[in-house]
Amino acid sequence: MKKFLMIVLSLVLIFGVVGLGYSADVKKGIHVGNAGAFTGDAAAPCMEIYNSAQIAVDEWNAKGGIKGVAIKQIMGDDAMDPAQGVNVAHKFVADELMYGVVGPPMSHIAQATLKIYGAADMACITTAASKPDLTEQGYKHFFRVNARNDAHGWNCALFMKKILNAQRVAILNEKTAYNVNMAKETIAGLNKLGITDIMQETIVGGAKDYSAVLTKVKAFNPDVLFFVATTAPDSAIGVRQAKELGIKAIYFGTEGARDKKDFIQAAEGAAEGAYVYHFAPDIYSISEADDYVKKYESTYEVLSGFGPPAYEAMNILLTAIDKAAADGDISRKEVAQYLQKTENYRGILGFPVSFDAKGDLKGGATYFFQVVGDDFKQVAVMTGK
Amino acid sequence: MDIYLQQLPQQLVNGLTLGGVYALIAIGYTMVYGILGMLNFAHGEIYMIGGFTGWWVLHLLTRNNQVIMSAGLVISLMIVLAMGVTGFVGIMTERFAYRPLRNAPRMNLLLSALGVSIFLQNLVLTYQGAKVRAFHITSLIPENIRVFHIGSTVFSFMRVLVIAVTFLLMGLLTIMIKKTKVGKAMRATAQDIEAAAFMGIDVDRIVVVVFLIGSALGGAAGVLVGLLFTQVDYYVGFQAGLKGFTAAVVGGIGSIQGAMVGGILLGLTESLAVTFLPSAYKDVVAFVILIAVLIIRPRGLMGEKIQEKV
Repeated sequence: MKKFLMIVLSLVLIFGVVGLGYSADVKKGIHVGNAGAFTGDAAAPCMEIYNSAQIAVDEWNAKGGIKGVAIKQIMGDDAMDPAQGVNVAHKFVADELMYGVVGPPMSHIAQATLKIYGAADMACITTAASKPDLTEQGYKHFFRVNARNDAHGWNCALFMKKILNAQRVAILNEKTAYNVNMAKETIAGLNKLGITDIMQETIVGGAKDYSAVLTKVKAFNPDVLFFVATTAPDSAIGVRQAKELGIKAIYFGTEGARDKKDFIQAAEGAAEGAYVYHFAPDIYSISEADDYVKKYESTYEVLSGFGPPAYEAMNILLTAIDKAAADGDISRKEVAQYLQKTENYRGILGFPVSFDAKGDLKGGATYFFQVVGDDFKQVAVMTGK
Repeated sequence: MDIYLQQLPQQLVNGLTLGGVYALIAIGYTMVYGILGMLNFAHGEIYMIGGFTGWWVLHLLTRNNQVIMSAGLVISLMIVLAMGVTGFVGIMTERFAYRPLRNAPRMNLLLSALGVSIFLQNLVLTYQGAKVRAFHITSLIPENIRVFHIGSTVFSFMRVLVIAVTFLLMGLLTIMIKKTKVGKAMRATAQDIEAAAFMGIDVDRIVVVVFLIGSALGGAAGVLVGLLFTQVDYYVGFQAGLKGFTAAVVGGIGSIQGAMVGGILLGLTESLAVTFLPSAYKDVVAFVILIAVLIIRPRGLMGEKIQEKV
């Protein structure tokens, strides 16, 4: 009899927790994850993502949370390492109160964890991962509020041709998923625009010394040097050493380089006149974002550009959870389905957010900035034309 | 072909600076190996701590982007204090992590060294954070001497400084080992630690001196790289340690001259490899050379004459 009871009890437990598709009463609590590289070279932008998402969570909680239940954001640090990203994904999936994740912001981590989150129907909204493949694999749980880098690559090629009047381009890219793709898409775009004088070389992130490969760039004598590095500190070394070697080409950096402290200030003047691209517009020019900007900058440092999409993504995610919770209980699948239906969400990014069937942002744009003094000035927007 | 030739002088300068730094790190590995027969894997972290010490000295002596005393003094203070701090850390690691294991199997020492490495890295991560620290060096060098040209080759002031300080330190070390009593004792201990003890040499003291000097040189390398490449973070020790170790092995581990030659050879190889091959092969070429050297001369380039071991 005792044995029988044990079996029944075990079965009830198993089905209660696993079998019924993660559906749970809202009152038990609501967790949202935030996966990113909170230590290591990309710690600064990732902390900006986390803190911005936390502002959104705090705002929701101040309004009474979801159905009166306070929302809790949980940090999952992958340190830019796919293996640790997988651990984070397993941890998040095992948390039965977790209904969605903001992140991962890096393409190679997003790629490594896609299957794990997908199998658990855990909705993920990335704010920066732009490798095109990520949404081409048939998963229904993965969304992004940033443009894909095939859009960025083509837009960057257009920018180099139309605004920078490039004829001879040197591209140095890191050998990571995002940067390799970015370089590939840009070269394809440049070729299409008739620019074929292109030199491509690879660099290693965090290497601190690029003088050998930059010496090679100098001998090639390009008009534009497209320095495709993930982080602002690496970009600062790139621009400083390029200047030191006397390279006359226009320096053009990535979205990672749009960081006043770690790029402009760290380069000590060498970044003056350099260009960078970014997936988000100048947040200071959007009046809807004023409140958020004030909240962020009064508590943390000056924004670099990674924060606003994260604030937006968390709000979109919580809106979907709120809809899913309307009937008193939530399942992860419901959350993903409501996210899919997001249509013309108007937040702080200055453009309405809608997802297409793959989970991509509809109509991606790329914004271009130039370093003027101690700040970035928006100089152009490219939307594929 | 022209496009290659035009790069060569510049790549030699690049390689020589990088190589000098590798050599300074390699010396620390090789000295410890020469005496204790162990690989001090924590040496990369010592280098990192040197970089951080230098950054703090510079940071504390800078007000509104201007250094508050003469630039020469600031740079000297950075190097001297970093050498002091890293020398102290080196002695402490020896006292608490290695000396208790002096007579244990070699594998235990190696594991202890790995432990020290992880400990130091996380200590810095905890107290200094993960953010990259940038050295603001502009106010250290007047605008007009920051870079100068010889033909199409660019020399930056910092590169010349790094090469000069590196060779100065290596010269001083060579003299110390060849001419002084402590140097003689170090050579004796390296040859046979037990026999040296029988001859009345205080072996414990010599080991401390070795850790002091090796770590201080590693710390100096950390500051020099900080000044040259303008950044330090808690993770820089890993890559630097790997390169320093490679240089020590190429030169013949245990041989100080070998470490110097190995370091410079490695730096030059990396720079020149980029000239002729896609830069993705930079490290491949460096390690192919390591393997080739070890196949042809298993003891490294200069690891043959045992009496030169220290």
